[in-house]
Amino acid sequence: MPLKDDFPILSREVNGHPLVYLDNAATTQKPQVVIDAMTQYYSNSNANVHRAVHTLAGEATEGYEGCRRWIKNWFNAQRAILTSGTTEAINLVAYGWGRANLQSGDVIVLTEMEHHSDIVPWQILAEERGIEIRYVPVLEDFTLDMEAYSISLQNAKLVCVVHTSNVLGVRNSVDQLISLAHQAGAKILIDAAQAVPHDRINFGQLNADFMAFSAHKMCGPTGIGALLVKNDAFEQMQPFMAGGDMIESVTTSGSTYQTNEHKFEAGTPRIAEAIGWSAAFEWMSKLDLPAHHERLLNIAKWTAEQLRGLGFTVYGRHQSGDAAVVSFLHPTIHSEDFARFLDAKGFAVRTGHHCAQPLLNRLGITGTIRASFYLYNSQLEAEKFIETVQYIVERFA
Amino acid sequence: MTYPAALQELINEFTEIDDKMEILEYVYDLADEVVEFPVENWNENTRVLGCQSEAHLEVFIDGEIVTLRSGADAKIVQGMMGIITIAINGEKAEDVLQLKPDFALEMGILNSLSPSRSNGFRNIFDKVMSEVRLKR
Repeated sequence: MPLKDDFPILSREVNGHPLVYLDNAATTQKPQVVIDAMTQYYSNSNANVHRAVHTLAGEATEGYEGCRRWIKNWFNAQRAILTSGTTEAINLVAYGWGRANLQSGDVIVLTEMEHHSDIVPWQILAEERGIEIRYVPVLEDFTLDMEAYSISLQNAKLVCVVHTSNVLGVRNSVDQLISLAHQAGAKILIDAAQAVPHDRINFGQLNADFMAFSAHKMCGPTGIGALLVKNDAFEQMQPFMAGGDMIESVTTSGSTYQTNEHKFEAGTPRIAEAIGWSAAFEWMSKLDLPAHHERLLNIAKWTAEQLRGLGFTVYGRHQSGDAAVVSFLHPTIHSEDFARFLDAKGFAVRTGHHCAQPLLNRLGITGTIRASFYLYNSQLEAEKFIETVQYIVERFA
Repeated sequence: MTYPAALQELINEFTEIDDKMEILEYVYDLADEVVEFPVENWNENTRVLGCQSEAHLEVFIDGEIVTLRSGADAKIVQGMMGIITIAINGEKAEDVLQLKPDFALEMGILNSLSPSRSNGFRNIFDKVMSEVRLKR
């Protein structure tokens, strides 16, 4: 059975045409097993976690904590804090670790390639604390300026860098970035939102201090993600959100906190989403991810070549390890018009700045059209996509 | 609701088209219906916020009669401006203010009326209405 058949949404039509979903860098579709797992939870086991002794509470707790076990095993992580997604995970580092460990005059190193979610929390913290932010430039070949990176590390306390760009698909030299950050005495946070869908990253081996990502970009539900933390960094973190479930005891004179990940998961957590994410992990565990990744990268590379041949500018390089993302622009047809025409023919793509305005400023543009491929996409869909692009160019250029 | 005659005629024409591509092609062609708003007059006050494209407009009211001048770098966005131009230009301000954006759904040019950063039509419509309210 083709893998696509596991995804009910992919059999629908959009505007009278079969849906070809190429907006996977924004969010991926969900296999039936994920939908069923969440429905099953609400139909049979819905209860709050961690406290009550009744059977349903036990099932809910087992389901929720089962997701944490999946994450720790999948990524070989010591600590996995469940969050609402990558954005909350990064904010948790900013407020949970940054506030407790950074002060006026300290330096945070970011790059021009970051998603806004890995820029804005640091700008707010920098303003609050008098912290200096340095940005590593992106070079003409869409890679980070590693020489500038080395220089920027002087007196740096924290480096925050994207593993794989959501605009370019470029995979950064994360091993080198981590090693240099540690040599300079800085901790390092990896934004792996676009990496985890394609690569089963070994966090323990990677040796980063923090890694943030979301479930929904790897066939899981929206509204849940995780922050992986090394033990020593975990011990340096203070609670960012406070309330129920994160405490050990509360009296009118003060409170003590849990010592495990629950310390950072105040309130009723995302139980159904955790159970759905577990189902996504289980579904993905049966796939040969590296083989799929290579297949998708070849499709992206082919698509990029075709687009260049049709007069488009393509932003990205599509080398080994990069994500299957193709960002492109036509010299005369506006990207927003292009995306609407593609939608009329059943193709879902993204346009705009992709929440990465500093990168687009560096590229001298305000937006791109982005086609991003995932497990259920095929070469045939890419060929239909190029045929439609060609039609739009012939009609409107 | 009852629409101005020119707008009602346009709605009727759109409802006869089934194919989304043809609808968009028609909107694309309606970009020519705007009253030109030269790029050199575009500024932060005339910008339509929340559009992916660069879209600008200005409303004039002369003796209660409304005139919209507008332009955008995306042709479909400018086509939406063309539709609003047909709907309101030459109409009285008080009549224009009765207009609701729902006609865009009837025409099949929108997936949603909810304000969002991708809803160019809604953002254009809302800016036009607030300018009419301000200037009448």
